[in-house]
Amino acid sequence: MGTLDYVWLGVQAVFQGPEAFSVLGLGISITLVMILSGFLLGIAVGATPGLAGPIAMAIALPILISTFGYTPDALLPVMGFLIGVMKGATVGGAVPAILFNTPGTPDAFMTTLDGYPMTKKGQAKKALRVAHFSSVSGDTFSDIVLFVCAPFLALLVESYLDLPEKTALLILSLSFIAAVIGGSPAKGLISVGLGLLAVFIGTGEDFYPRLSMGTPQLSQGFPIATAILGILIVSAVFKELEDLWVEKRRSGKIELTSQSGDQRLHMADIRRLFPYIARSSVIGTAIGALPGIGSTLAATLGYTIGRGRYEKRKGADDPDFGEGAPEGVASTEAANSSVSGANLIPVLSLGIPGNAAAVFLILAAESIGGFNPGPSVFRFTADTVNPELVVAFGLFTSMFIANVLNWTIGGVFMRSMGVMVRVPKQFLLPIVLLLTLTAVYVQEARMAAIWFTLGFGVLGYFMRSVGISPLPFVIAFILGGKLEESARQAFSATGGDPFFLFNNPIALAFMLLSVGVIVVTARNARKAE
Amino acid sequence: MARTISKLFACACATLFATGALAADWTPPGPIKLMIGFRAGGGADTQARLIAEALEENKGWKFIPEQVTGKGGINLAAALKDQPNDGTAIGMVVTETLGYNMAASNSGLTPQDFTGLTTTAGFQMGVVALSSKGWKSFDDVVAAAKGGAELRFGAMSPRLADLAYLVGKAQGVDFNIVSVRGGKGVMDGVNAGDLDLGFMAGIQAKGVAAGDLVNLASALSTPLVQTPDAPTFKDLGVEFNADGYFVFIGPAGMPAEARDALASAIAEIVADENSKAGGIVKKAFGGAATISGDELTALLDGDFANAGKLLEAASE
Repeated sequence: MGTLDYVWLGVQAVFQGPEAFSVLGLGISITLVMILSGFLLGIAVGATPGLAGPIAMAIALPILISTFGYTPDALLPVMGFLIGVMKGATVGGAVPAILFNTPGTPDAFMTTLDGYPMTKKGQAKKALRVAHFSSVSGDTFSDIVLFVCAPFLALLVESYLDLPEKTALLILSLSFIAAVIGGSPAKGLISVGLGLLAVFIGTGEDFYPRLSMGTPQLSQGFPIATAILGILIVSAVFKELEDLWVEKRRSGKIELTSQSGDQRLHMADIRRLFPYIARSSVIGTAIGALPGIGSTLAATLGYTIGRGRYEKRKGADDPDFGEGAPEGVASTEAANSSVSGANLIPVLSLGIPGNAAAVFLILAAESIGGFNPGPSVFRFTADTVNPELVVAFGLFTSMFIANVLNWTIGGVFMRSMGVMVRVPKQFLLPIVLLLTLTAVYVQEARMAAIWFTLGFGVLGYFMRSVGISPLPFVIAFILGGKLEESARQAFSATGGDPFFLFNNPIALAFMLLSVGVIVVTARNARKAE
Repeated sequence: MARTISKLFACACATLFATGALAADWTPPGPIKLMIGFRAGGGADTQARLIAEALEENKGWKFIPEQVTGKGGINLAAALKDQPNDGTAIGMVVTETLGYNMAASNSGLTPQDFTGLTTTAGFQMGVVALSSKGWKSFDDVVAAAKGGAELRFGAMSPRLADLAYLVGKAQGVDFNIVSVRGGKGVMDGVNAGDLDLGFMAGIQAKGVAAGDLVNLASALSTPLVQTPDAPTFKDLGVEFNADGYFVFIGPAGMPAEARDALASAIAEIVADENSKAGGIVKKAFGGAATISGDELTALLDGDFANAGKLLEAASE
């Protein structure tokens, strides 16, 4: 059995699996049908404010498993569906960010920075086209890297990063995000600090629920959905409502942005955007391959590096980043989408997820059985067939099919969601709020979660009002638990060494960079003033 | 007179009916809130949800599953304690929650605050390492540690961390004991090379069968099913063990018929290997192990009482 034989077996497993129905005597396998339905569901979910891929995957997984059962035959249809959702939601996620300034996921936050101004300027459709093109390009690039490198890349990365290095890398991510987002490093650090404070409530190793002040509601901590959706969406809704109110008081009526001008994406546009997409794709793929860091950092890095390049080259009357530059949308979307393929590298070769979507893929594999993400997957056995490797190549094939769907029908379906921009804001915002609160309640099913969400919404509203970006808060909330865990583990793994962050070269370099990035940004900001 | 007779008759009927209301006829007075003390989607969570699904199908009872996680099940116990004890609120935790964790947590909770319904499955708790490390037995680990290697020992609960410390002490070596979240966390750490060895409670079965992982010791009072030759903790000089089960509990003072009906219905499902729940119990936890009634009460009380001894031994 050579490598090519395995690839071929994987492709066959997808196309010749159990038949769903046949067209003109040609059997259509159930896996293909599942990939397509997952994909369409993913776009719709991604395009709905307040919902995101992982929620859809969480709800779909038990239903899928009870439909397909626990046989190895169920692996490809179920995981194909989940991969479809993942891919669809990745492109769909840009829709609410661009149209309503309400990102469904933290990754899409940077998309709002230029996407929403484009909508306000009447270029919503064009922004959606740019987002789709960049997103799918980044995703495809990342998948190709996955197919080629998966077997050895993750093992390589892991062998260099021990627990202290991982802790230092998380600190670097937080400091980087604090420094580059939200104008000034000080405001960024405040945002990160608040996020860490929130996530440390009720968590930790001790049996006593930390910082909960004895209240049972706080003893389980804040559910992650309440923090993310509250800070990102509810606060945006509050801010938009306030803007509408101010506008109405000033002019007596609410303006509806009309969409006009050339909405198409021309060859010249693509040529102009391409360098941004290419850089962001490489960044996203590289970050995706690191276990556990996630796509938001990729989006931020892609955006920041894109901005650096853009400022040097833009024409005199081109809009700046943050004022509706298509390059901004392209840099962000290419970066956050290119994470998803590369993220499967640590998933498949080590079984360690880097984002929520990957968690559900692992879960599916574990619940069904017959496929254990881990080092044993990529054993190319010569004499006998390694069924796990066949499944792995089947998954790659499924991802490839989802990409083809993305290039062909994805854009059309995504843009059809663009009609929502015609809905007047005073109707839309309450609906978004209702959908968000419903989404929270579906996941958490207790009234306290609603109050938490509204509380985070108010906090986010005040942060936005004083010019503190809510994104560092969210990232800190997501990474905070991981940071504490890996710091504790690194401390005990090094035999209780208090200087574990400073006495090996890689961790020390990360720590110096963390301080450096804050100092340099602060100095540049002062110079600019 | 006639009215008195008819009243008496009614009473008699009611009494008859009440005594006839044995466990077999018991139906919950409303939908049952099922608190699950494990992260959504893991093996334990799936087990709980599949059991609920099967009970809905077989018995027509209605379940509302809910995740109440954290603090080794103490959060769940605290929430369950004040729920109605008529069988409409139950929870799934591990026996360790009512034993070591309650004893160590200062939460004021004791097993007497709860009614034990039934266990579903035990753990196949082994001390596991990658086979590529070259260790064939626990003696090789001890030899490596004595040779100067700093070894990282992953444990997913405070009790297991204590046991790791004690087994090191008994063998005259010092491990760097790393607290990790869940058996999956230990497995990820071992696979990634962040940990050298660690406790796994059944999740290692596939890896051991494939030859990627090796069971070095059984942390149970009995040998592991999969690797019967591996020494138990007793063989290694530790008088404590990690014996434990998944267990369904309710608030204290649950009526006997409700307790028996719930316990026997759950036990019946996990024992049936053809049911989805039974299938997963068989696959992930080596088959059903159902202990209920007085035997379970004695088990829970005993674990709680013994926890103090382990805490003392580990803090010496």
